[in-house]
Amino acid sequence: MKPALILHYAKILVLAACVAPSIREGAAEQVKFDVEMSHPVLKADGKQKTYLKITLTGFEVERKKDRTPANIAMVIDKSGSMTGSKIEKCKEAARLAIDMLDPNDIVSVVAYDSTVSVLVPATKISDRSAVIDGINRLAPGGQTALFAGVSKGAAEVRKFLDKNHINRIVLLSDGLANEGPSSPSDLGSLGASLAKEGISVTTLGLGADYNEDLMTQLAGKSDGDHAFIETPQDLARIFKMEFDAILSIVAQEVMVKVTCAEGVRPLRALGPEAEFAGNSVTVDFNLMYSGHEEYILLELEVPAKASGTALEVAKVEVTYNNLVTEARARLSQTATVAFSDSIKLIAARANSRVLVAVAARTAVLKNEEATELRDSGKVREARQLLIGNAAYLSRKSKEFDSKFLDEMMKANLKDAESLSPEKWRIRRKMMRDRQHRIYLGPRF
Amino acid sequence: MRLKLALILLVIVLTPLALLAWLGFRVARIEKEAVQHRFHQLLLGKLRETRSVISDHLMQKEREHLKILRAVPIETTALRDLVRSRPLVRQIFVAQDDGIRIHPPLEGPLTASEKEFLRRTSEVWKKGALAELSGPPGETTKSEDGSLFNRSSHHGWYSWYWDSGLHLIFWWRSPAKQIIGFEVDRARILADIIGALPDTDLFEPSLPDGRIALTDSTKGTLYQWGSYQPEKSEAPRVSLGLDSPLKAWNLSFYTSGAGFSEDIGRGAFLNLLFVLVAVGIALGGLATYFWREHSREMREAEQRVNFVNQVSHELKTPLTNIRLYAELLEDSLPEDDPRGERYIEVILSESQRLSRLIGNILSFGRKQKEKVRVQKSPGSVDVSIRSMLDLFCPSLDEKGIRVTTAYGADAEVRFDPDVLQQILGNLISNVEKYATEGKLMEVTSNQEADRTTITVSDRGPGIPLRQREKIFQPFYRLSNRTSDGVAGTGIGLSIAKDLAQIHGGDLVLLRTLQGASFQLTLHTPGKNRNDSADS
Repeated sequence: MKPALILHYAKILVLAACVAPSIREGAAEQVKFDVEMSHPVLKADGKQKTYLKITLTGFEVERKKDRTPANIAMVIDKSGSMTGSKIEKCKEAARLAIDMLDPNDIVSVVAYDSTVSVLVPATKISDRSAVIDGINRLAPGGQTALFAGVSKGAAEVRKFLDKNHINRIVLLSDGLANEGPSSPSDLGSLGASLAKEGISVTTLGLGADYNEDLMTQLAGKSDGDHAFIETPQDLARIFKMEFDAILSIVAQEVMVKVTCAEGVRPLRALGPEAEFAGNSVTVDFNLMYSGHEEYILLELEVPAKASGTALEVAKVEVTYNNLVTEARARLSQTATVAFSDSIKLIAARANSRVLVAVAARTAVLKNEEATELRDSGKVREARQLLIGNAAYLSRKSKEFDSKFLDEMMKANLKDAESLSPEKWRIRRKMMRDRQHRIYLGPRF
Repeated sequence: MRLKLALILLVIVLTPLALLAWLGFRVARIEKEAVQHRFHQLLLGKLRETRSVISDHLMQKEREHLKILRAVPIETTALRDLVRSRPLVRQIFVAQDDGIRIHPPLEGPLTASEKEFLRRTSEVWKKGALAELSGPPGETTKSEDGSLFNRSSHHGWYSWYWDSGLHLIFWWRSPAKQIIGFEVDRARILADIIGALPDTDLFEPSLPDGRIALTDSTKGTLYQWGSYQPEKSEAPRVSLGLDSPLKAWNLSFYTSGAGFSEDIGRGAFLNLLFVLVAVGIALGGLATYFWREHSREMREAEQRVNFVNQVSHELKTPLTNIRLYAELLEDSLPEDDPRGERYIEVILSESQRLSRLIGNILSFGRKQKEKVRVQKSPGSVDVSIRSMLDLFCPSLDEKGIRVTTAYGADAEVRFDPDVLQQILGNLISNVEKYATEGKLMEVTSNQEADRTTITVSDRGPGIPLRQREKIFQPFYRLSNRTSDGVAGTGIGLSIAKDLAQIHGGDLVLLRTLQGASFQLTLHTPGKNRNDSADS
């Protein structure tokens, strides 16, 4: 190798290293914030597409001590279908969840069928027995006024709304919303609006009869979780997991703003909904969990540059409410790429973490597409798409040696086998559950 | 007599009951209508109250967002941040007075949601609603459908229908002649309204078990509360439209009214029934009391009469003996014993009087049990009258009563002298007892065809007008100075009238200026006619 060439590569490496954080404000107990390019070194002299991954990781906090107070509304479906073991297990799970809360936390219990009953108005958990009494009063019967139930739950949370607390609605339903607004877009719209206030909705779907689109929309647009609970026996476990997650929230109202450099064009986002306006992209997260990773994937079009040059592709700004310090924090970084002619170098520097994420989310988009195909009755096409998707995942899992992609591949194969009418109802819920989790980042 | 009394009592009991029932039913019906009306008003009042909760909520949002719109700088980033942070704001827009759009920007990149907003609201922009600003000032003070952004007002609501229902825009006209407005998040405003409305557990106890439903323009239920479960096709009791801008929405009150209107109406009828039963029992009790009292009196009177009858029978035999022996004694008296003769005369006349009284009592008693039979025999009425007057002569003389007679009935006719003598005896002894101060008794007799008329008049105190009929009733005695201290059974005139009627005639009191004048008529057929059996 010629020294000049070595120098050239060294320069590129130094430039590529600039992807590392350049500015950092604050010190301990900050959200960890990484900006990575899928290919820190790009082919020179050509317009091309590449991916930008912005990863946010909630910092660890010592549990129990100084936990951010939570303000939780449990909204429970008590329609006619919730009879028998369902309601009993649900009460048990709710009582268990109450036990996990501290005296400083605020809880309310709302039950709905055709109408809504506020069983426990928002109150400090210090009077635990009153809350338990309220839960014990749950008795099934009637229709499913889901929208009204969530609205009332939101009203209860709003009584003690504090941007520095954890504000959450936990919705449990086993059926289709059939009273009041009941389209996924209506509920999604409500979720988005609640997110603006800092309220998230966790939706727990029980059994095979709920509307998973509606539930995932409501959770997704409000940055809450969604979980499919196959049998009532799993209720307690899922409740515990969900409450563990809720109580580990460390940041809220997270806003990520990406401003692309002149000539760089943001094409699309793989993952949470992003707002594109010209060369800037904004993504809102309602919250961050302790130790949990959220990421944004952006597909960018980078203009042609000469080999040996570098380009500051984008400036990324993150602002969020730190629930521990109770202050709004601001972080910023820049993403840079270098250009080279060497295919080898480009391949060697490729970031497999980013590429795995890209593969995963691409596969999710395909999986969603397959769901739509199956919904419109095109079973054969859906199966083909899923098998093709599995093949894609299989290739990628081998390429990056990713167990995660391998599992996704298996799941897609299983999806392809479960398109028959008798299996589809349950399978669809599992798929929606998976799509939702991979979109927001796996939490469970 | 008893049947008549029973009927009268029945009428006395039933008439007020029927009247009360009629009145009661009328009152109850009016009451029920009034209750229905009050009930309706109550439900309507509740809906109005609910409507004002919604209106107040919108007003509050209006004020809140007016403040926000006033404060926001007209600058793309700030406007976009506002959309991101305000829950109710789905998308914001700014337009110039002449209708030219400022935001979302005409040039420069738009966000996906801004593009979607322009597509959604294309109708609104096409309508040239903003261009209307250059026209003359509108008349309305508050925006209504189709009168968007009228010039006379500075802020307001605009509603339009798109896709799945009602969409709202809230707008404000800034002093810089710019229209700043935002599209309201439909789901969110409904969620907020639901949050402001009561839940099922808060349904007021003052109202009957009910259900209030908020419905949209397609009659789809948006939200409802209350524990009552209406049937699918059940019509609401009361409905009320919301105020602008949610005019297309309705509030409906469903209730069976159980425990309220019907019950109160039924309550009124129950009360009435209760009153009717109570009054019925009271009146019935009273009637029974009177009935029993009356029966007891009747029984007692009957017993009295029986007793007197028996006693009189017992008295008859010794009296007959007294008379017989007195007459025997009179015959065997020496000629020159005037004192003895006078005594015997008194004994005889008194015993005759006694036998008349006993006769009266017995005929009264007989009359109570069976019909008295008249035994007519040929004879002269005048002769009978004369012998009666002779009989009374000594006692009349003693009281200083002068007797004038005018006979006109000496033809031989058929009549019952015993009956005639009993009647006359009664009349004459009445004069003797009550009209001594008149010092005069006039007796006239007259015959015409087969009727004989006899009048007995005196110059005594007479009989008051209102008692003219009553004196013929049994046991009736005039209660005044005349009768005081005078013994009498009170059955004389009653018997006399009965006897006269049995004899085919009558006994009446004539109207006279002074004293009393009784007229007796008798059916006295000629002697050839054989009708002795008539009764």
